[in-house]
Amino acid sequence: MANSNPKKTSVKRKHTEKDDAPAVAPVTLKLSGLEMLTDDEDGDDYNPEDDTDDGEVDDEDDDEDGDDEDEDESLSEDEEDQDEEEEGSTEEDSEVESDYHIFPKAKTVISDITGQPKKVYPEIEPDYDSDSSTEEATNRVGDVPMHWYDDMPHIGYDINGKRVLRPARGDELDKFLATVDDPSAWTSAFDKTSQEEKPLSSEELDIIKRLYAGENPDENYDPYEPMVEWFTGKGKEEIMPLSAAPEPKRRWVRSKWEKQKIMKIVRAIRAGRIVGQKPKTTSKYEVYSIWSSEPSTSAPPALPAPKRALPTNAESYNPPEEYLMTEEERKEWESKDAEDRERDFMPQKFTSLRLVPAYDQFIKERFNRQLDLYLAPRIQRTKLNIDPTSLIPKLPSPSSLRPFPNYKSLNIRHPKGRARCVSISPDGNWAASGDEDGVVSLWEVNVGCEVKRWKFEGKIGSIEWAPRQDVSYFAVGVEETIHFLIPPNVDSTTLAQTHALLAPSALPSAGPTPSPVKWTSTSVSSWSNDKPILSLTLPPSSGVPTQLQWHKKGDYFASVSTGGATQNAVWIHQLSKRHSQAPFRKIKGAVQLVLFHPTMPHFFVATQQYVRLYNLAEQKLIKTLMPGYDRKLCWFDLELSEKPYKVLKYHSRAIRSLHFHPKYPLFASASDDGSIQIFHSRVYNDLMTDPLIVPLKILRGHQITDGLGVLQVKWNPKQPWLASAGADGTVAVWCS
Amino acid sequence: MGRLKVKGKAGAAKNFTTRSQAVKKLHWSLRFYSFLGIFPREPRSRKKANKGSSAPTSFYYTKDIAYLAHEPVLKKLREHKAFAKKLSRALGRGEWSAAKSLEDNKPVYRLDHIIKERYPTFIDALRDIDDALCMIFLFATLPSTTRLPREIVENCARLAAEWQLYIMHTHSLRKVFLSIKGVYYQAEVMDQTITWLIPYSFTQNVPPDVDLRVMLTFLELYQTLLGFVNFKLYTDATLVYPPPLDAKKDDTAAGVGAFSLQTAEVQVKKAAEKIKSVAVDGRTVTGKDVRQTIKSITAASGEQESGDSEMAELEENVEEEEAFVPQTSHTQVASDLPTLQTLSSLPTSSTSNLFAPYTFWISREVPRSVFEFLIRSFGGRVGWPASSGSGSPFDESDENITHVIIDRPSVQKEETPAQRDLRLRRKFVQPQWVVDSINASKILLEDTYAQGKSLPPHLSPFGEYNGAYDPTAEAEAGDDVDMSDVEEEEAEEAASDDEETEPSKDNVEAALASVTEDPATLRAAELAAEAAGMDYGTFEAKVKKASKKSSAKSSKSSKTVEDAEKDMNKMLMSNKQRKLYEKMKYSQQKQAAENDKLESRRRKLQKDKATQ
Repeated sequence: MANSNPKKTSVKRKHTEKDDAPAVAPVTLKLSGLEMLTDDEDGDDYNPEDDTDDGEVDDEDDDEDGDDEDEDESLSEDEEDQDEEEEGSTEEDSEVESDYHIFPKAKTVISDITGQPKKVYPEIEPDYDSDSSTEEATNRVGDVPMHWYDDMPHIGYDINGKRVLRPARGDELDKFLATVDDPSAWTSAFDKTSQEEKPLSSEELDIIKRLYAGENPDENYDPYEPMVEWFTGKGKEEIMPLSAAPEPKRRWVRSKWEKQKIMKIVRAIRAGRIVGQKPKTTSKYEVYSIWSSEPSTSAPPALPAPKRALPTNAESYNPPEEYLMTEEERKEWESKDAEDRERDFMPQKFTSLRLVPAYDQFIKERFNRQLDLYLAPRIQRTKLNIDPTSLIPKLPSPSSLRPFPNYKSLNIRHPKGRARCVSISPDGNWAASGDEDGVVSLWEVNVGCEVKRWKFEGKIGSIEWAPRQDVSYFAVGVEETIHFLIPPNVDSTTLAQTHALLAPSALPSAGPTPSPVKWTSTSVSSWSNDKPILSLTLPPSSGVPTQLQWHKKGDYFASVSTGGATQNAVWIHQLSKRHSQAPFRKIKGAVQLVLFHPTMPHFFVATQQYVRLYNLAEQKLIKTLMPGYDRKLCWFDLELSEKPYKVLKYHSRAIRSLHFHPKYPLFASASDDGSIQIFHSRVYNDLMTDPLIVPLKILRGHQITDGLGVLQVKWNPKQPWLASAGADGTVAVWCS
Repeated sequence: MGRLKVKGKAGAAKNFTTRSQAVKKLHWSLRFYSFLGIFPREPRSRKKANKGSSAPTSFYYTKDIAYLAHEPVLKKLREHKAFAKKLSRALGRGEWSAAKSLEDNKPVYRLDHIIKERYPTFIDALRDIDDALCMIFLFATLPSTTRLPREIVENCARLAAEWQLYIMHTHSLRKVFLSIKGVYYQAEVMDQTITWLIPYSFTQNVPPDVDLRVMLTFLELYQTLLGFVNFKLYTDATLVYPPPLDAKKDDTAAGVGAFSLQTAEVQVKKAAEKIKSVAVDGRTVTGKDVRQTIKSITAASGEQESGDSEMAELEENVEEEEAFVPQTSHTQVASDLPTLQTLSSLPTSSTSNLFAPYTFWISREVPRSVFEFLIRSFGGRVGWPASSGSGSPFDESDENITHVIIDRPSVQKEETPAQRDLRLRRKFVQPQWVVDSINASKILLEDTYAQGKSLPPHLSPFGEYNGAYDPTAEAEAGDDVDMSDVEEEEAEEAASDDEETEPSKDNVEAALASVTEDPATLRAAELAAEAAGMDYGTFEAKVKKASKKSSAKSSKSSKTVEDAEKDMNKMLMSNKQRKLYEKMKYSQQKQAAENDKLESRRRKLQKDKATQ
């Protein structure tokens, strides 16, 4: 910038100095240009700035990068200058040709008519430059919008000032016919000034053609004119510098910053940070002795993949014929999904090796293996290689634990109704059984001979012999009453004692609170064997007493009624005082069974979900045992836990009855599946030894009727014999 | 009061990461984790690990994933991703030089450290090499496509050939099984049993539902692994690794023969070895013979001649190597403490040279690659026609050929005396003979495997589970008796129908029925038989039968008692034990049913055969 501005001003200054008549600007410019040339030739007006300027252009390559901007600008300035000069020169040329006249000179001629001299202009050649180059235009309105004449009959005026009338225009049909008739119609265009279609001249068509081809419309334009070398080439060198500015230092002094940059790279190369040609990356699979060094991590290696199972005979190309699939097997194999098949291949037999085809699932199998390798969790499992029979607990053989009931020795039939209950007398000789028809039959255990039969109205719910040895009677629960019966053929002393107990001459005084249970006894004199000697009437609609449970001393007994409407189903009756009381005001859940503890004043109450243990003396709850539901036999250790110590689930249907033998280490369970299971059970005093439970025998023989099997089992108190009452109406005795 | 526990902040929920979480965290596909040695884990409670959801997912240890985040390979893989983007951009812009420099500086990841991490010792690597071998042998035969570059296939083929060479060199092949899927080989290398499967040589096509990327990812690891394993094996056997490959031979389908094994000190020891080999190996004589015969043969084309001479040289090499083997193996055995496995594998040294005295000719319809490998692994010499590939050490007219492995049906045709002579001198066997001999570790009789004969069944040498059906076992004696019993009974019934009127027969029957071990009753029965006029032989048979019956009866009754007791004792099993027991019983029953099925089928087949 610094050296270009003064140049311009200097040029201007020269103009002002040298030009005397700066009237017409283009002309003066022309002149100054000429003068400038003369100046240079003369050399009297030396301008050093111009020189430097030229020099800069020449030395472009040597320049540092930092000067780029300056240079660019100077370059552009140069170009401007050149443009100006060229302009000047072209104008000068044209003016020289036309001898400084815009219009052609007029000749002065003496007019023939007037005799006066007059100026006669030469005919204007219809040249490109001339105004009259166009065809004679009849309409002379000039460049005015033609819609001004829309409402007029004429469209303008001719050179003589006369109206040019609007040419007649046909309708669309005429137009169409014109296009059909006139072959040049498609090269004509609507002329606004003459208001009619005019054919285009061949020049115009040529221009259109050129425009259409994307060329320059001027025919004479040559885009490939040879370049005129103004400043380069032999003899055109600029000898004198254009600018007088001294050469800058940077032309010959090396850049400090560049040096620093280069040194940085050099140092990096020396230090090896920059490697000239990076060595080509080596092969991915280059090998060396990788296991010669210690492992890098102490972490245990990942679990090795399990090996595939080795092929078996069936996979052979020539297996024994028995391995081949039959037609059905083949069909089944083909119909199954690939995942469900036991084998992933179909055994085939080929007579020779050359006939074996490619296995089409090979890649698929490999792929599945890879999927397993990376998608399946790896778990180390210890494979159990044991004989399954070793899992069965080793127990003493049942034959070493004799005696236990082994076979059915007797069968008493209750022809009508299910045999609900059975009970064996404490001396082990007599048994009483009751059915749903209301029949209670007394029979002899050894032979099964029926001695006596009672008939009651309603179902027999329960029968229980009194546990005392000195008296002989049993209680029968029938439809809200409990009857006390004395068997026939009892010796006189026992009978007398029984009478004294059940129907004493002096009734004990009634308790302080009247009980809803009524005790009615028949007097000894009016009593016969057929009638109950004593009857308890439970409160109305309390249901059938399904269980009677004697205390071991024989004074108290508890009754449980089911199927009744009243809440209170459990009663404890005292025979000596003829008093009944309900120990629980309200019990959660339906009571199923009750039991007196054999040694302690404890009382078990079993509902459907819980077994509760009460202390009768202190009248409070001690424990709640939690057995599971149905089908299970739970063995509790009362000292240990409220959860069962052992759960045995072997009956396929609900367990109906369970009874421990009073003398032998036996217990029996009966179920609706019609079977009776005998166990040997022994609890040791030694705390370290687990109780021993050995299944001894499964007794089958009762039929299942209406979904009910064996309803009650009872042990013979003296013998290892079992009595069972079944829903099929039979009562069986099982002997050892 | 302690700090409140927040759900999902501790325990299984924190220790396990689902697979999608892992992928999200690492930004890299799962298949790469597997070769980094990270596998899904099974949490004790899937619900707890999955924050209460029971959707089916696989779980990883969170710590495993955290460890993987620092894995250098994953870093390299990410770099590679960036590189791929840059390259595609450069190509898209047509910046060729930039693309070239990018390609030159392409990030390359190596899996060495993974091999080292996953297999801290060489034995670990050998133990896990089965899958690697299967994959590499498969890919060595696949056609290269755009998805499967040629380099990979070539590298696999090279690794596979190297492995086979080593096995042949050390004679460590033990068992072979021709299955319908391919050929199973079992070798014993460094006391590790290694089994691999090679498909039959047909072109395998990758099915569309197979993700080749997964396979290639694994293949990358396997190639690296097998490379290192081969290196270790070769250097331990003082062989040069990699064995030099003769490209010319390789082009003419010489297969394994294109590689030449070189001992590390081959140049130094060459002379000494030669003397030794003569002293040790009786086969060198045959080798010389071969060379002489080869020289005498005028080959049709010059190329073949040169090939033959090369082969002769190769043969020389092979002999030298083979002579060298026993020494190295001896030193190894001496250096290692004898384990039970090594002791048990010792006798195999005799079988490893099973085919040493024989020379085989492989007919052109027999897969050469398989049988060349088998025969050379067991010390035999083997030749093949030019149509099976170049490099056969001798040609068909060789005098020393003892066996011709042929798989063609026999055709009756006129033959010249020379052919006839040749046929009589050589034994023509079917390929199965070779395999069965190897599995039996003795030379089997060739007659049953002669050309055109129907072959005996080919059985798996790997055996089956304990107590499985054994097709080789002859029908058991008991079965035989049973069968005959049935027949006899039928006959007897018929007979008794005929002579129902004869009371003496019934007497004998009755007497026999009561026969026990008691000699007195036996005596009585004998008398009764005599009275009935029965000859002694039939009486003996009857006695036997009767005693068997009675014993079976008594054993049956005692068995039922025991069974009943066991059934009762099952009541006292805990739930867990019972389930386990049921499961075991189920599988036992299934196996037994399968065995019974096979057994009955065989009996039926035998019967059918007998009646025909």
